[in-house]
Amino acid sequence: MTDSAPEVMDGAREMVLALADDELCIGQNLAWWIAVGPFLEEDLALTSISQDELGHARALYGLLGDDVDALAYARQPHEYRSAHLTELPCRDWGETLVRHFLYDTAETVRWAALADSSWEALGAVARRALAEERSHLRHATGLLSRLLRTEAGRSQLLPLFDQFTPMACELFELPPGCAADDLVAAGIMARPLSDQRAEWQAAVDEAVASAGYQPQWPADSAIPASASGRAGQRSAHFAALHAEMVEVLSIDPTAVW
Amino acid sequence: MSRAVLAGVVAAVRRSVSQVCDPEYPEVTIAELGILEGVSSSDGGSTVRIELVPTMLGCPALDVIARDVTDAARTACAGADVSIEVTFVDDPVWTPDRIAPSAVGFLAREYSVAVRSRSATASCPICGNDALEHRSDFGPTPCRSVEWCPSCRNPIEVVGRVDMPAAMEAAPASPALA
Repeated sequence: MTDSAPEVMDGAREMVLALADDELCIGQNLAWWIAVGPFLEEDLALTSISQDELGHARALYGLLGDDVDALAYARQPHEYRSAHLTELPCRDWGETLVRHFLYDTAETVRWAALADSSWEALGAVARRALAEERSHLRHATGLLSRLLRTEAGRSQLLPLFDQFTPMACELFELPPGCAADDLVAAGIMARPLSDQRAEWQAAVDEAVASAGYQPQWPADSAIPASASGRAGQRSAHFAALHAEMVEVLSIDPTAVW
Repeated sequence: MSRAVLAGVVAAVRRSVSQVCDPEYPEVTIAELGILEGVSSSDGGSTVRIELVPTMLGCPALDVIARDVTDAARTACAGADVSIEVTFVDDPVWTPDRIAPSAVGFLAREYSVAVRSRSATASCPICGNDALEHRSDFGPTPCRSVEWCPSCRNPIEVVGRVDMPAAMEAAPASPALA
C-alpha cells in the first residue's frame, strides 16, 4: 500500500472504482456475442476479451474490498461510476468493433499511466492487465485497418467514429471528488489525464488517417458533468445491463458458479 | 508451535498443494504449470500462506483452483493449529515459460496442445513441424491461441498468446520448480 495521505487514497479508490465499473460493463456487454459472432474466430475473440475485461474488473474491485461480488453487483445504480460508452449494448458488429477499438486504445494508455503507481498493488494489476491488453488492441486495430481499406468498411465504420468519439472522451474523466492533480503528485498516476487523452486521440487519429478521415474531438466531454457516468448518472442502457448481470443472483442469492 | 514443527507443516502443505491438478488438464499439476508460486508461514507462524499466479486475470478456473488448493492444504495440516490463506498474486506475471518441460511434453503428447515460450519455438504436437502459422490470439480458453500447421494441415491450440513471452519479459521462472 502506498503511504499517500488518506484523502488522496480516497480519490485513488474512486478512480479504481470507475475503472473497474468500465471493465465490468464492457466485459458484460461483449459477452452478448457468445455463439452469435459473425464468424467463429471473432466469436471466440470477443468473448475471450469479455472474459479478460471481467477478470480486470475483478482484480480492480479486489483492491477495494474482499467481497468482489458485492462491489460488482450489489450497489445502487447511482453508486456505479462507469463511462456511458461502456454501458452501450452490443447488437451491431461494426458498432462493437469501433467501440472496442476506442475503449482498448484508451485502456492501454490508462494502464500504462498506472503501471509504476506508488500504490503498489494497483501498479501490479496495471502491469498484469497491460500484458493482456496487447492482444485486444492487436485484434481491434487488425480488423479495423483491413476493413478501412474497403469502400464498404469506410462507409459503415467511419460515421460510427463521429457517433462514439465524443462519448468516449468520458473514459478520461474521473469521478467528482477525485483530484487528478493530487493523484499525479502522489505518484499514483504517472501523467495528467489531459496528457493521456491527447495520446489516445493521436492513436485514434493515426488509425483512421489512412482512410482520409479526421475525427472531430470536442474540447470537453460531450456529456455534461451533471449527466456524467462518473458522477453516478446512468445511461438509459444500464438498467437492462444490470438486470442481466444479477439475473441469477436475484433468483437465488446463495447461488455459486 | 516450535519452529521445527512449523517447518514440517509448511513442507507438508507444499508437498500436498504441489500435487493439485489443473481443472483443464487433470493429469498436470499446478506446480508443473507454474501456477504455484510459493508456500510460506506468516503472522508469526499462525498462518500458512499459499501464493498462486493466475495464467490470465479472467480465467474462470481460478476459483476452482483456489478451492482445490485450500482443500489440499487443510488435509495436509490437519491437527496443526494454523489457518490457511490462499491468494492470487499479480506479481510475478505468469508466462508459458513457467511450464515445466515435462508438462510441455505431456501436453503435446496427450492433448495435442503446443506451448509457446521464449525458450522454445512452438512446434506442431502432431507432426513436429516448427513453422506454425498464427491464426488467432483467442482460442478455447483465454490462455490459449490458435495456430495452423501447414505441414499436417491441422489447427493447433497453443498455450500463450503470441506476444505473451515478450510482453512479460521480466517474469522469473517459477520458484516452485526450482
